[in-house]
Amino acid sequence: MKTNELSQKYRKPLSSARIFRLVLGFVLIGLLTWRLIDVIIIQAEYGANTWLRLIIVGLIIGGVYSLIAIGYTLVYGILFMINFAHGEVMMIGAFGGYFVFEALKYIPTPTAQDPKLTFINAQPVISIILAFLVGMTIASLTGFFLEKLAYRPLRKAPRLVPLISAIGASIFLQNAALLLFSPQPRDYTNPTSLARGTGLKIPVGSSSILVTYTGIFTFVLSILFMIGLYLLVKRTRLGKAMRAVALDKKTAALMGINVDDIISKTFIISGALAGAAGVMWGIHNGIVNFFIGFIPGIKAFTAAVLGGIGSIPGAMVGGLFLGLVESVGPAALGIDFQLKDVIAFSILVLVLIFRPSGILGEAQSEEKL
Amino acid sequence: MIAKSLQTGLRNGLIFGIIILFLVLIGFDITGSSLIGKVIGNSPPASSTKQLPYASNLVILISLLGIWNGAMAAKRIKGKSPSQSIAAGFFAGIFTGLITAVFALWIGTALKPGVDLRVYLIALSSDAIKFFLFQQSPSQAALIHLGLLAAGGLLGGLIIWLNRLRKSSVAFTRVNESFSNTATRWNLNVGILRNRYIRYTLYLLGFVVLIILPRIWGSYWNFVVGTVGIYIVLGLGLNIIVGYAGQLVLGYVAFFAVGAYSVALLNSTKPLNLHWGFWIALLIGIALAILAGFLVGLPTLRLRGDYLAIVTLGFGEIIRILLKSDLMTDITGGPRGVQDIAGPTIFGYKFSSDIDFFYLILGAVILAIFIASRLQNSRVGRTWLAIREDETVAKATGVNAFSSKLLALAIGAALAGLAGVIFAARNQYTGPDDHDLMVSVNVLCLVIVGGMGSIPGVILGAFVLKGLPEVLRDLENYRLLFFGMLLIIMMIIRPEGLWPATRQRLELRGGRQEPQDVLPEKLEEKGLEA
Repeated sequence: MKTNELSQKYRKPLSSARIFRLVLGFVLIGLLTWRLIDVIIIQAEYGANTWLRLIIVGLIIGGVYSLIAIGYTLVYGILFMINFAHGEVMMIGAFGGYFVFEALKYIPTPTAQDPKLTFINAQPVISIILAFLVGMTIASLTGFFLEKLAYRPLRKAPRLVPLISAIGASIFLQNAALLLFSPQPRDYTNPTSLARGTGLKIPVGSSSILVTYTGIFTFVLSILFMIGLYLLVKRTRLGKAMRAVALDKKTAALMGINVDDIISKTFIISGALAGAAGVMWGIHNGIVNFFIGFIPGIKAFTAAVLGGIGSIPGAMVGGLFLGLVESVGPAALGIDFQLKDVIAFSILVLVLIFRPSGILGEAQSEEKL
Repeated sequence: MIAKSLQTGLRNGLIFGIIILFLVLIGFDITGSSLIGKVIGNSPPASSTKQLPYASNLVILISLLGIWNGAMAAKRIKGKSPSQSIAAGFFAGIFTGLITAVFALWIGTALKPGVDLRVYLIALSSDAIKFFLFQQSPSQAALIHLGLLAAGGLLGGLIIWLNRLRKSSVAFTRVNESFSNTATRWNLNVGILRNRYIRYTLYLLGFVVLIILPRIWGSYWNFVVGTVGIYIVLGLGLNIIVGYAGQLVLGYVAFFAVGAYSVALLNSTKPLNLHWGFWIALLIGIALAILAGFLVGLPTLRLRGDYLAIVTLGFGEIIRILLKSDLMTDITGGPRGVQDIAGPTIFGYKFSSDIDFFYLILGAVILAIFIASRLQNSRVGRTWLAIREDETVAKATGVNAFSSKLLALAIGAALAGLAGVIFAARNQYTGPDDHDLMVSVNVLCLVIVGGMGSIPGVILGAFVLKGLPEVLRDLENYRLLFFGMLLIIMMIIRPEGLWPATRQRLELRGGRQEPQDVLPEKLEEKGLEA
């Protein structure tokens, strides 16, 4: 607290780089506002239904980003390293769910009305729970072994070293999946009650928009997972220990906390969340291959940075915000939808330039940045 | 006693069992076997195309893995008792064998005409499964696997025990002595190299060899070594940023792309129809790359470590997506890239063959080495060093950290631009897919594998990472997999790289290479002088 007051009292002198940043910031904000007003109000190409649809799409994808971003934030909060392979953990979780669905598709459970009924449609709830359980378990195991094999031996090394190891792990996992499952994308078979393309029709003005069941399912479930994680971190002994380790490893160890154990558990939890996100991704988007983890991984990292890395509510808000911007942004700026990734990365760059501590993050000490 | 070996055996056996299953699932058993077959000359005649290697090679592969397994298990047992380490090896072998045998049985029974496992696991074609079963029935194959792995484990344990026996005897100390003798002799050799004239003669010899070689090699090798050369230039450039100044940049490919697209757009018919000539495009490409370096560096270099890495990664991706998008199709050719880029001409002579480009690349490499080595020991180089070691302290001693880092980024970007120009001109084509993240990662890897901050290290790294895969064509599919694994293993075992710069080695090894009693004295002397 005291340092905060101090830093407010003694503001940094204006260096040339700082002036450059300020000018750049104002110019950018000006351009952005002008463009937004121009596209949304003056050109008014899209009606209210389009905007609403884009917002809903953005929230759904944002929920998935949030779940992955939490994994980045948890790990960064404790180890100060970017777990570059986290997106791959999510991809592996998605494959776990995929294989469960594929297996259940072949278990016949014939009934009187429908002799061709299979388990996945006879018991959709159990099937989905099974898929999530398997996906999350595999993903957390991946996270656990990742930490044990690739990161733990490097705990005391300079900070570049574990990052490079993480890049190596990312390449390894991606190519292992490529060699195991082939590069061709696979269709996720959902239970028919959760089929893609079906959903609620919401009337907006003269037309209506379709909110898919998979979308609702994904969003609600991701919010539930986030609440669960928040309670875990705030209310349980494990959460307390995690926060203690994040604050100060040495002191936590002196208080009788097994630091290595907590770090392992953190990787397991973040892996489980990533696995859940992967299964959701599969259920909602319907396609998995070895590469699906990479871009969401980077974007989720963006979301974590956006919200303030190390802060769990920050990761949640950041993920939802990023999903929204990515979905609404191209339309609002009047540019091609191909460029939505450019918007995401530009946000990352801009946030890191202007406010590295993120939306909800506290100003971090030099050491942590 | 026996419980300890059993436990170790179980543990190692499980790990190796998983490794073997993984290797089979990615189809490495076939590739590995055919490699072994090639090495020992036991492969099917070349006339029969697309044929599996002989199963006897798989026997060798499995036995080798078994021996390794046993040795690893036996190594975990401390002490000299022969029974324990051999037992550990044996148990590990048995356990791995059991896992593999069960897998063989299962997969053998799953192999029915109607079932196609390739739908889920791409490597498991029926031919591949039969190969894994040694072309035998499943139960026989399971027995063979079990037998091979158990025997291999036993043998591995035995080898480790024998090795221990040898080490503990007097002979070992002698070996050790003679080893240290050779070490000093090697130092002496390095001492000879310090003589300026001998060194120059060696340089001249090497240069002559490099001039003559491409005429003998043939075009394939010129192409391969040319690619390695381009990566050496890239590596030396990134080495200035990462190795000297300690700034991790993951979007290095952006500067490479700027160079490549400069020559592509200024020296081709489509899309802009400009023919400014290669040399002007080269200069413009380098200038633009430097400009890009400034533009990226100005806002971002304030960040440290992994943040900088991610921001630059973001920049690299932005440039690639922009190049690929419809938005820029009119200017950059979009996803299809730019074709028919004209090559350089000197006094009317047109560069067209791989030999010409080899010489061009050689020139670029020599230039890059010259720049890098001159910078390393310059005032700027020492500034970078200070920043890398501790930025706060460097600032406190009056170093302008920001502008030094910016300079490093700009010089690195210039070299990347140079490499990009040559790369695009040689391929006569450039497109967005030439500039994806993997290029950045490849370059970073070769810098790290070779040794950060070390010029010979970078060259060695480029040969290892870009040259070896060309030699081992069979391993093409597994290249990136091994790459990832190599990065992790390097970071754990040898973070300073294959041919490290002295300073880095001392830092990461804690000065173990230097005799402990010399260092303080030296420091004291220096202190007195100061």
